[in-house]
Amino acid sequence: MKPAFFQALRNPLWWLLLAALAMLPLGLPSYYLHIATLTLVYVALGSAWNIVGGVGGQISLAHSLFVGTGAMLASAMLLNSGINMWVGLVVAALVSGLMGFLIAVIDFRFKLGHLSFALITLAFAEMGEIIVIGWDYLGGASGLFLPRDKGDFSAFQFGGGEGAFYVMLFLAALSVLVSFAILNLPLGYYLRTIRDNENAARAIGVNIFRNKALAMVISAVLASIIGTAYARYLTFADPYLLSSPVLTIEIVLMATVGGLGRSMGPALGALLLVPLGEILRGKLGGVLPGLHYFVYGGVVVAVILATPRGLLPLIQERFARLRGNAKPEGSVASSGA
Amino acid sequence: MTYRRKPDFAPSRRTLMLGGLATLAMPAIRPSYAQSSTVRVGLIQSMSGSLSAYAQEGQPALDYLVKKINTSGGIKSMGGAKIEMILADDASQPARTAAEARRLITEEKVSMLAGTILSAQMLALTPVLDEVKVPTLSIWAGGSRSDQLFSLGFPYDRGYAQSMHDMVVWLRDKQGMKLKTVVPAYSNYEAGQQTNKFLVEKLKASGFEIIGELPLDTKAQEQTAAMIKLRSLKPDLVMGLVTPRDGLLLHRARYDLNYHDSLFVGGTGGYSDLSLWKDMGPDIGKAVLTRNLFGMTGFAAGAKMASMQAIVKELRDDAKLSIIGQAAIQAAQAVRVIQRALEGAGSPDRAKIHEALGKVTIPPGDADLYIAKPKGLAFGPDRMLTDGSAMFIQWQPNQTQEVVFPSEFAQVAPRTRS
Repeated sequence: MKPAFFQALRNPLWWLLLAALAMLPLGLPSYYLHIATLTLVYVALGSAWNIVGGVGGQISLAHSLFVGTGAMLASAMLLNSGINMWVGLVVAALVSGLMGFLIAVIDFRFKLGHLSFALITLAFAEMGEIIVIGWDYLGGASGLFLPRDKGDFSAFQFGGGEGAFYVMLFLAALSVLVSFAILNLPLGYYLRTIRDNENAARAIGVNIFRNKALAMVISAVLASIIGTAYARYLTFADPYLLSSPVLTIEIVLMATVGGLGRSMGPALGALLLVPLGEILRGKLGGVLPGLHYFVYGGVVVAVILATPRGLLPLIQERFARLRGNAKPEGSVASSGA
Repeated sequence: MTYRRKPDFAPSRRTLMLGGLATLAMPAIRPSYAQSSTVRVGLIQSMSGSLSAYAQEGQPALDYLVKKINTSGGIKSMGGAKIEMILADDASQPARTAAEARRLITEEKVSMLAGTILSAQMLALTPVLDEVKVPTLSIWAGGSRSDQLFSLGFPYDRGYAQSMHDMVVWLRDKQGMKLKTVVPAYSNYEAGQQTNKFLVEKLKASGFEIIGELPLDTKAQEQTAAMIKLRSLKPDLVMGLVTPRDGLLLHRARYDLNYHDSLFVGGTGGYSDLSLWKDMGPDIGKAVLTRNLFGMTGFAAGAKMASMQAIVKELRDDAKLSIIGQAAIQAAQAVRVIQRALEGAGSPDRAKIHEALGKVTIPPGDADLYIAKPKGLAFGPDRMLTDGSAMFIQWQPNQTQEVVFPSEFAQVAPRTRS
């Protein structure tokens, strides 16, 4: 592990930020707490996806498959088989990990290019949604309605709004931490080498399959766990939300706007776009149909045009210039924080 | 000589008497205060997204009737308080419905909620309603999971499924049509699946034979494969709940394959929506919609129901609405239910509105009953309408509808199979 990882962990700023976030439920009204919780869901999902899509450079569109598995399978096991949702979470995470591994095998076996990989994973996501909608055990198109959250921790209940916020805060922090750790581990270097030039990576002895598969499995397991917690928070496991490829598109959008391949990039994207989308809809939704989408789209396009590599690299560059020690970004040598 | 300092506030006897009189007069004064007040109703509509057709059509009718109520004295039991609608767009996404509900309740401080709120949105909304306890009226949900939520929608069981079942039993037993075999063909989404489950049970119990099943892929670009399967099975009846888009594709495939051997009975949008004619064109519409097809609907302009015809005339002539379909009438009905609930509550208190909402009744023949309910409008213990029945129409070549069932509203006898 690179020393930068431990240095960052010892940085009191991160701990202060975490403490400040943990104080939010004390002062936020219910609606804004919901927005904060939703933002953390996307911070967590964006960071999980970033391990494959940002660090590994593989644009996976299959992540709704993992989120959907975590949400729908764990919920179905509870409602249809009476299996505790903690157990469901573990089983769903294992299933998601296995599916992630199989996707990596297909990718390696057929030597898929970037576009082919994106399309294949999109096809898997579509298949996943069709299976969920067509399979009664997983709730079919009606989805699954979970029992009311009474705060029984042993039954994977966290007491509603505030409890869910802390669970999502933990998962978001975990996701960012895992992403940051990978960037500072040999796995992160291998993945970035593969991303930048796969043939060169192979030539210098990097095990392409092992590293890609490992990244995909870690990312899938994380996405699945977040999916289970998200379903518990919503109480209603909606297949059209949790198993839809549109969810992955949203995650990719946020990661791209924030900055791909950096542990805090997707988090920054989610922190900007989720509250923006929610507040725009709240303020403009009743004014003119679709106006909020128009403004949201305009903001996203403007940000991408202004900062094609994402907001975080731009902010880092500005800070580096101010401190007079600009260094190249996005390179293998960068810590990616 | 000593001076006693006058206290900062030393009420005189006259002041005290005036104060006492004012206190005693408060109940009498309250109505005049309330006259200038409003009662806030949060309106969650899918103004954008895939389900926006319902809200886009319903919103102008809703605006018109709220304005009409406000200009004709507001809510009288609240001293003429005006209804103030706070519109929110959930973008047709159930999770957003819950978020908007939370915003309207906690930020806008509404006294009650209403809106299109289809079934999936109802499910997503339930935890919020259970937590915050706000009475809610859904215009379309097929069920209610929260004791706070009432719905004007057709229940899957005694609404959609029962109505379709009753129609085909009537065609078989009273009209002498030879109907035995059935293939349920339904849009493969939440309401389609739920309705189908109940429909199949009822049809089997009435002696029909299910010889296949055809869930229609809601993302499909065309339904030729589905129609080929139907042609190979050749059932007497094809039945199910079909969305306007799936209905359009299904009927177009039927035209392409020139298939007319089955009787198509279904609802609602995919069989009865005016948009079908526009989207498939008058020639195809004439070839398939006017032949061997009956559509389920909650509204038909020609139905033998004075109050329904009156609201259609009013919306057309006074409100100047260009589209008056089922969504507009259902929205208008929702406004009248909200008005009666608020009148019954006599206060913006949520608990009182909830109680009053459950007691709303609009009897048959009442001028405020806009939807076709032979037994009138009232909520049952499940907070759904006790009379969940619907009408069935047949299309005319000039794109108008004729009600054929039930007899209370029927204009003509049903066409025979051809």
